[in-house]
Amino acid sequence: MSRHFICGALLSLMVTIGCQPVILHPPRDGAGAVDTGGAALGDLLGLPPLGATAAAFTLPPVVERRLDNGLTLLIVEEHTLPLVVFSLVMPGGSAFDPPGQGGVATITADLLRKGTRSRSAEELAREIEFLGGSLAAGAGADFSNVSGEFLSKDLSRGFELFANVALHPTFPEDELRRARELMLAAIIRSREDPAAIAGRCFGAFLYGDHPYGRPASGTEASLATLDRDAVQSFYQRHYVPDGAVLVVIGDATVEQLSSAAEGAFGGWSSRAGSPPLLPLPVRVSGRRMLVVDKPDATQAHIRIGNVGIARTDPDYVPAGVTTTILGGGFGSRLVEELRVKRSLTYGAWSGFNVHRMPGDFRAGTFTKVETTGEALGVALDVLTGFANGGATVEELARAKSLRTGQHPRQLETQGALAASIASLFAYGLPRSDIEAYPGRVMGVTLEDVRRIAATYVPTEDAAIVIVGPADTIAAQLAEFGPIELTTPDQCAQPGGPSAVR
Amino acid sequence: MSADAGLEIPVERSKLGNGLTVLVHEDDSLPLVSLYLFFRAGSRNERPGITGISHLFEHMMFNGGAHSAGKFDEVIEGNGGSTNGYTTRDFTVYLESFPVAALERVLWLEADRMRALAITPENLEQERGIVKEERRLRLDDSPDGKVYEELYLGAFAASTYRWPVIGFMADINNISLADAQSYFQTYYAPNNATLVLAGAIDAERGFALAERYFGDIPSQTPPLPVVNAEPRQRGSKHIRYAMPAELPALAMAFHAVPATHPDRPALDVLQTVLGDGESSRLHRSVVREHELAAGVSVSFQWGIDSELFWIYSKLRPGRSAPALESLLLRELARLGETGPDEHELRKAKNILQADYIRSLKRVAGRANRLGFYETVHGDYRAMFREVDLWEAVTIADVTRVARTYLVDDTRTTIELVPIRSAR
Repeated sequence: MSRHFICGALLSLMVTIGCQPVILHPPRDGAGAVDTGGAALGDLLGLPPLGATAAAFTLPPVVERRLDNGLTLLIVEEHTLPLVVFSLVMPGGSAFDPPGQGGVATITADLLRKGTRSRSAEELAREIEFLGGSLAAGAGADFSNVSGEFLSKDLSRGFELFANVALHPTFPEDELRRARELMLAAIIRSREDPAAIAGRCFGAFLYGDHPYGRPASGTEASLATLDRDAVQSFYQRHYVPDGAVLVVIGDATVEQLSSAAEGAFGGWSSRAGSPPLLPLPVRVSGRRMLVVDKPDATQAHIRIGNVGIARTDPDYVPAGVTTTILGGGFGSRLVEELRVKRSLTYGAWSGFNVHRMPGDFRAGTFTKVETTGEALGVALDVLTGFANGGATVEELARAKSLRTGQHPRQLETQGALAASIASLFAYGLPRSDIEAYPGRVMGVTLEDVRRIAATYVPTEDAAIVIVGPADTIAAQLAEFGPIELTTPDQCAQPGGPSAVR
Repeated sequence: MSADAGLEIPVERSKLGNGLTVLVHEDDSLPLVSLYLFFRAGSRNERPGITGISHLFEHMMFNGGAHSAGKFDEVIEGNGGSTNGYTTRDFTVYLESFPVAALERVLWLEADRMRALAITPENLEQERGIVKEERRLRLDDSPDGKVYEELYLGAFAASTYRWPVIGFMADINNISLADAQSYFQTYYAPNNATLVLAGAIDAERGFALAERYFGDIPSQTPPLPVVNAEPRQRGSKHIRYAMPAELPALAMAFHAVPATHPDRPALDVLQTVLGDGESSRLHRSVVREHELAAGVSVSFQWGIDSELFWIYSKLRPGRSAPALESLLLRELARLGETGPDEHELRKAKNILQADYIRSLKRVAGRANRLGFYETVHGDYRAMFREVDLWEAVTIADVTRVARTYLVDDTRTTIELVPIRSAR
């Protein structure tokens, strides 16, 4: 039981810059920090905030090699612990599931570890786990990825296993059947979790037919018809070296790491065109409110949002600062108004969920059923006040300090550094963004915050999703506008909500 | 692997005159410090009527001390730090990670609230409301959370481990201002705490600053020891628990041992053999071969008092809980008869060693571990012996602990029976 609501738990499926900053930053500068030194005890509170400790962070040297097959290798030596991590990122994720094949990107990634030309699923699991290693694959909206971690003494075996699953999966029929059944069970089970329902239904409600609104797990209907041809075809189209990036960081020399990587991936020769650009998501106009009926719940979960920014938007850094003022950390406005002042909730947050194309801004909270209307009213008032009035000097200072101060911790592990470097490459952004981050945060002005809040924090135009017992909460919501009604198993189906009332 | 491979991290320990234990681990790779302050007070120190007070109190602590009331978060975040706290059955922890320049401010804030917390009716009511929302989120609206609560209530008759850390709703409602004051007086004393400083700070400076900020806080009479009155269970218990849920589930617990018991490392290995990874015994059997469950996990917590060794498995649609229960029991019996093979044993040790290494990745994680060992084992150095203890476990040890502890007489089973609410 912890005191702070960890918003990342609710947002685990998305990259956000409100709760869990995704641009991570390079540490490795031990010097330069000094103490306030000897202030009298009672005076410490009166001191002004220290301000950003935006010392010159330097990224460790990254060796870049582009192989003949188009794969980019990024190698970093790092000797803190006897581990080596790797992260392979390829364009094409669940937003590229073909029509009627929802879930194919996810199930393709699942199946990599379930049979290769030289090993069965059981053999793969046993070998990877015998080394105390990990090897995982997954699909985000825009990208698919394979990543892993081994003890550095197992560098060559780890790499051989990694390349084996990434390059030579066989997608056995029986394993496809198992994976499909487990994904179906997971979809059913996720309806026990109001926060999961809220996330899934909000995506579908906001984005409509846009691919970003589709659940990465697919639906019961789409999973039922997924066959091996669909999986093979997704794999052949998207698991290709050209345009992909492989980051390797660990406790070995650059030569050892890069020869292991080249040996394993140099012969990868498949080809395909790069995935097409997705259409622009369409902003919701007017206020649309969806109630997802969960009759047994004791709490209602609320999401409010609209279309936001792309990862590559020049406003990415100021947008992160802006949403920190509104709903990041403990001193944010949403936490102050919903939790501290009124005890309406245990958690409240906001964040930009960024993608290659514009993603969304969303704010969220939850409260006991009896206070659903009150919490929604307070949340909407906070959003409106912020969108219309921007922030104070003190609020901006807190957000900058929090962002810059926590920044080194976010690159503390090899895995976090690898993910960050891979992500920048995948979005076509320069690695120098890492070192530029603290300075950019410190350069954000009140005017930037005002402009971004006015543009992206929803007031009149908003998608609102509330998960809870419809019979009880409907009356509390009447003052906020007309309600559309759906159920947890229907909200992400084609055609959307089932009834309007 | 262990100490020979350099996985022992440098730590220095000191004790202030008022009994506050201070641990300093220096690592200058980031210009940051992580502060973890452990109090030996968790839900095991509670009594019926005020269950949940440890955790409710943890919330109240963030309203700050006498000189910093209402300012705690503002000062921490305004200086680039993050802050949190958590409560377990055994202890409560307050943690901050911040740029090293903010070190003295953070120490001042922590000392201020240890010296004299601002305990007001408003503060209590505010946090009571928030904690009730936390309980609804984690337990009342979560089948997993409720099964976990019921499992401990079912398995323990007298141990104070039986109630949930967050407490019963009626008790959260019942806790009074006087209860909070007495709790603070008893448990939030320097002689009942361990301060861990990790990161860009050397031991000499850490000890001096600890003395400077905490040195004048008076010690208190040590709390009365907790009596573990748990009688020996003689016969399995089976509870059918009906609540709104989508799929049935099965939880099965056995009485095990405290963290300091000599059988604990063998039970760690047993837990890994049974439940860690897709190649583990139970996953292979119930998920892959027989396809009854969607997943299975095996857990063995390390506690000051005797903890539970438990298995949790969610069924697939259309499968029966009794069939899963007998399959699980067959697998446990098989392990008790023939033990793991050499390959399984080696795999389990490799996994435990690699997990140990991973636990050292973050400076904050190391601070947390050091505080845990100092609090639960009574000595942080116990942490550096773990890998050797696991390494010494034999097939015969694993077989013996499986036979000794995973027995029907001390078993409690919760069968989650999904119901659909009437509309």
